[in-house]
Amino acid sequence: MGATAAFSLTPGLSTIASRRLDTHTVMAANVSEVDWVSRLRGPEPERSQALAELQDLLVRGLSKSMANRYGGNAFAEDIAQDALIKILAALDQFENRSRFTTWAMTIATRLAISELRRKHYQDVSLDRFTNADGHQVDFAAREDVLAQASAEKAEVLTTLQDMIEAKLTTKQQLAVRALLEGWPVEVIAKRMDSNRNAVYKLIHDARQQLKVGFEEAGFPAHDVLAAIS
Amino acid sequence: MSLSKDQLRSLLTQVVCAQQDPLDCDRCYEHVAEFAEAELTGKPLCEALQAVQTHLQSCPCCRDEYQALMEGLREVLQNECNDSGSGIVDA
Repeated sequence: MGATAAFSLTPGLSTIASRRLDTHTVMAANVSEVDWVSRLRGPEPERSQALAELQDLLVRGLSKSMANRYGGNAFAEDIAQDALIKILAALDQFENRSRFTTWAMTIATRLAISELRRKHYQDVSLDRFTNADGHQVDFAAREDVLAQASAEKAEVLTTLQDMIEAKLTTKQQLAVRALLEGWPVEVIAKRMDSNRNAVYKLIHDARQQLKVGFEEAGFPAHDVLAAIS
Repeated sequence: MSLSKDQLRSLLTQVVCAQQDPLDCDRCYEHVAEFAEAELTGKPLCEALQAVQTHLQSCPCCRDEYQALMEGLREVLQNECNDSGSGIVDA
C-alpha cells in the first residue's frame, strides 16, 4: 500500500494522470450512478431509458477516445451498440468494484480498439520481419546507426544480436520484432494463431532472458542504455 | 527491415527496465476499471492494483487501451460534472 496511480508511462498518460478529480466531483458523479444494473434489468420504460442513457454515454466517451487512434471515430455509434449487447450479457459479472459506468466504458473501449486494430492491420503479415526462407528474424541495426557507434557501443549491439539468436525462440523473436514495429500484442497473436496472453508472455520472458544475458555478459544497465544514447 | 536508432533504443530500454509482471492481459483487464478510478481520485493502490500498474508499464497494448479508457472517462465525467455544476480540478 502507499503507492498511488499517478505514474508516468508516456507523455500522454502523464498528462492524463496530472489531472485529478476532487471529492465533490466524485460524489456528484456517484449520485448519477443510481443503480444501473436494476434499471437495465427492470421493466419498461425504465429499461429503455437506461439503455438510451448508457448508449449516449458510451458514444460520447468513444468519440473522444477513438478520435486519434488508427484513423477515426466514425464508428462510435456502431461500436457503442455492440458494446451495449456485450455489457448486458455480462451484467452478472459486474461486482461493484468500480462505478458501473467505468466498468461499462472499459468493455466498450477494449471492443472499439480491437475493432480499429483489426481493420488497420488486416492486410499485414509477419513475413515482412523474416528473411526469404522465413526462419530468420531481422534484428540488424541500420547501417547509419552502426556507422555512428563507437567500439563500445557496437559491442553492446553485437551482444544484443548474438543473444537474440542464441536465447530467443523464433516465435519470441517475431513477437519482439513486431512489437518494435508498433504492432499491438493482440494483432501479433492473431497472426501467430495464438492468444494475447500467450504472446505477451513470450515477450515478457524474452525481455527477462536478454536482461539476464546482458548481466551475465558484464554489461551494466547504464552501459546498455548508453549504447544508443 | 533493419532497426532504426529509435527502435534499438526502445528495445534496449525494454530489456534493461524489464520487470517481473505477475499479470497477463486478461487479469489486468479484470481490474483496470478499479485502477482507473484510483488514478482519477489519487487513491492509494492496494497490492492488486499495483500489479495492474506494473502490467501497464510493461504491456504497450494494454497501456494504449488504458489511455483510451481514461480519455473516454474524462470526457464523460466532465460532461456529468458540467450538468451537476461541479468541475475537474488540476492537481
